[in-house]
Amino acid sequence: MTTAASDSATTPEPGAAEVPRPSVTLQVLLSNEFGLAALIAVAVVIFATSLPGFTSPFSLFTLSRQIGIDTMIGLAMMAVIVTGGLDLSVGAIGACAAMFFGFGLEQLGLPLPVAIVFALLLGAGLGAINGITVVRSGVHSFIITLASMSIFFGVMIYLTQAKGFNGLPPGVAAFGRMKLVGPVSVLLVTTLAVCAGLLVLYRFTALGRQMLSAGANARAAELSGIEVGRTLIFCHALTGALAALAGLMLTARTGAAVPSMAGHLGQDWLLPAFLAPVLGGTLLTGGRVSVIGTLLGATFVTVITSGLLLMRVSEFWVQAFLGLMLLAAVLIDKARHTLLRRRGMI
Amino acid sequence: MASILEIRHVSKSFPGVKALDDVSISLAAGSVHALLGENGAGKSTLIKIITGVQAPDAGEVLFDGASMRFSKPREAGACGIGVVHQERNLVMRFSVAENIMLDRLGAHSLSRVDHTAIADEAVRWLKMLDLDIDPGTPVSRLSVAQMQLVEIGKALSLRSRVLLLDEPTASLTPNESAALFAIIRKLKADGVAILFVSHKLEEVFGICDTVTVLRDGRNVCDSVPLAGLNRQDVVKMMIGRAEQLARRAPRSKPAASPLLELRGYSSDAGHRDVNLTVRPGEIVGLYGLVGAGRSELAKSVLGLSRQTGGEVLLNGQAVHITSVASALHHHGIGYVSEDRKGEGLILLHSVLDNAGITIWQRLASRFGLLHDATVAREVGPVIAKLEVKTPSLQQTIGNLSGGNQQKVSVAKWIAAGVKLLIIDEPSVGIDIKTKAYLHDLIHELAGRGTAILLITSDMPEMVDVADRILVMDRFRIKGEVENDRVYERVSQAIMTFIHDRKAA
Repeated sequence: MTTAASDSATTPEPGAAEVPRPSVTLQVLLSNEFGLAALIAVAVVIFATSLPGFTSPFSLFTLSRQIGIDTMIGLAMMAVIVTGGLDLSVGAIGACAAMFFGFGLEQLGLPLPVAIVFALLLGAGLGAINGITVVRSGVHSFIITLASMSIFFGVMIYLTQAKGFNGLPPGVAAFGRMKLVGPVSVLLVTTLAVCAGLLVLYRFTALGRQMLSAGANARAAELSGIEVGRTLIFCHALTGALAALAGLMLTARTGAAVPSMAGHLGQDWLLPAFLAPVLGGTLLTGGRVSVIGTLLGATFVTVITSGLLLMRVSEFWVQAFLGLMLLAAVLIDKARHTLLRRRGMI
Repeated sequence: MASILEIRHVSKSFPGVKALDDVSISLAAGSVHALLGENGAGKSTLIKIITGVQAPDAGEVLFDGASMRFSKPREAGACGIGVVHQERNLVMRFSVAENIMLDRLGAHSLSRVDHTAIADEAVRWLKMLDLDIDPGTPVSRLSVAQMQLVEIGKALSLRSRVLLLDEPTASLTPNESAALFAIIRKLKADGVAILFVSHKLEEVFGICDTVTVLRDGRNVCDSVPLAGLNRQDVVKMMIGRAEQLARRAPRSKPAASPLLELRGYSSDAGHRDVNLTVRPGEIVGLYGLVGAGRSELAKSVLGLSRQTGGEVLLNGQAVHITSVASALHHHGIGYVSEDRKGEGLILLHSVLDNAGITIWQRLASRFGLLHDATVAREVGPVIAKLEVKTPSLQQTIGNLSGGNQQKVSVAKWIAAGVKLLIIDEPSVGIDIKTKAYLHDLIHELAGRGTAILLITSDMPEMVDVADRILVMDRFRIKGEVENDRVYERVSQAIMTFIHDRKAA
């Protein structure tokens, strides 16, 4: 099929060969995913041997549940980092969707599946509003989503009078407690299913490829016949839908939809949202993602956090530690970027 | 003549490849030295070693007979080695004077900038280059040629005794190039040693005294006088065989009715009353100086700027194209950009993704599913046919050489099977072999019925490839020249149309 292309591999051009090509094994060993997996393994071994409660079924259950939620938050941000942009309003969208979910169940008496679909659609819609504004105005998504974060959250607080929905059907909380395969939370299983879906999207669909090309070089993508504006709006809508799903998962965990579930303006989500994809090797400049990396990044953060908390390290120190970790991850991202530039790939 | 700068037996390896292997070159005062070689021959590595960007693994750099070891570009600059890179290195919003004096604006970082003194100093260098511009003008308002001269002024202001010019004419028009050569001759008379890197052999034979040719990181010749050599000799040294100078015969005129026709076309990019037709199987050249509005016309037809008047007809039907996506998917129009890295390719992605991007939508299944193997089945044969040198289709395209990248940016439109292909400056920064190959390819595509609109500022290329040539100036078509491949006559006719502007 590609005979000539592979034949020429034996006679590499001098210009092309200036770049060292590490072996496949070395590439795997140097990859983010492998590094993260190794770090997770080390952390788990240390915590499991030094902290007696770490491997208890309850601890493993809460750990898996938290990994599920944090990964979902990270995936939401990852879907927009693909474009080289970001979305500060993920937490606000998540809270809006969760509150709408509670409203639909409690006040409108919607059946559970319908309420879920509506909440996800609301999330996608709010994301699409971000996307349309970014594309039409040409202003960086940082400013647009900083504004929309306040708007979404403010309108939600006005409409709900800042009151939560506590009378959700028992099925919601039961889902949050449900275990599959031993102590593994069903929330993690949900997240894994979404990961699989995103892997297919980015790897095996035309839309996913269009998203990556528009993110890597919007101008070149447009001149190659990609409808860049529409693609970017899709990315933002996907972020909104995933943030909504994370909001619903959080609702299932607490058994109630409360406006403060993601903190004021949804800001509590921002740290995990950026940590997971950036640690996982998603390029902040766009055009390259790692779904598995995001899953591993969130897992690493969750394992470290719960380990530290079990060691009775104060919550504030844990926050400071996570901030440091984000900084380190961003610096690694920058180093990666410099490496790519030096190789003439950006 | 005494040599100012001498490189002796320098070698430099990068992991996996020996970029320079025992290379020597010596630059004499008051002479212009050509450095030739195909892409990947080691020219840029050699320049990096001369300017101190990289240190050699072995060998030595002698400046005025003394062995030097530059570890930073600044040290080479302080010694009097100035370099003008292929890419512009100016601060767009700063003035001409500030750019020339950029690293000497004040005694130290916090001292006050004396704008009068800086302007006076800058004017000295501008005068030397016969550049009549106000030193206070922001660089962003200059033409590409003027920017180039400002960079040369900047290099000279460092009292450079050695001046390296890396493809200085790549973005200049013939007239601007001629003006640059006059300046190079003047500098030569003043005793500056000039290293001139170019792909354009006409220029090399026009102004250079000595030549060094590199091939695969080795000297084919080291600082020999150019006088005893002819074009064939040099090409043979560069590519290892004689150039096939098969002048193409003029092609027979296609009789088919026009595929694309513009009638009285105006756009909000600034085009006025443009008339143009391209028939299937025809290669129409669009010649003009930089800034004449040629690329802008192509992009306007693709829907990137708004049509404000006139008609666009495809196969005789009036159409209104509003996006590149619809130009491609509904009308079968493709565009090879002159800016390969910025607009043509996604350097971060693989050869497969770059070549297949135009056909994803067509190949995707009903649910939007698309497998690499499906794309590879379509793209693989085209990549193979175009002899793209890549270890695999999964290779990141940023790792390929310029010529191979350019092949891929053409391949994606061949894979898409476009009926009209607009090719903008096909041979910018690619080697002779690939250039000749691309010319053959354009003829082959036209032979199979593709309509080609060729935009180029390279006059020999235009005369060699196009069937007829439209001349554009200031966003209008000034006239049409039938191309009979007689270089002197055709280029004269073209330049007459362009210089007609005073009369008009």
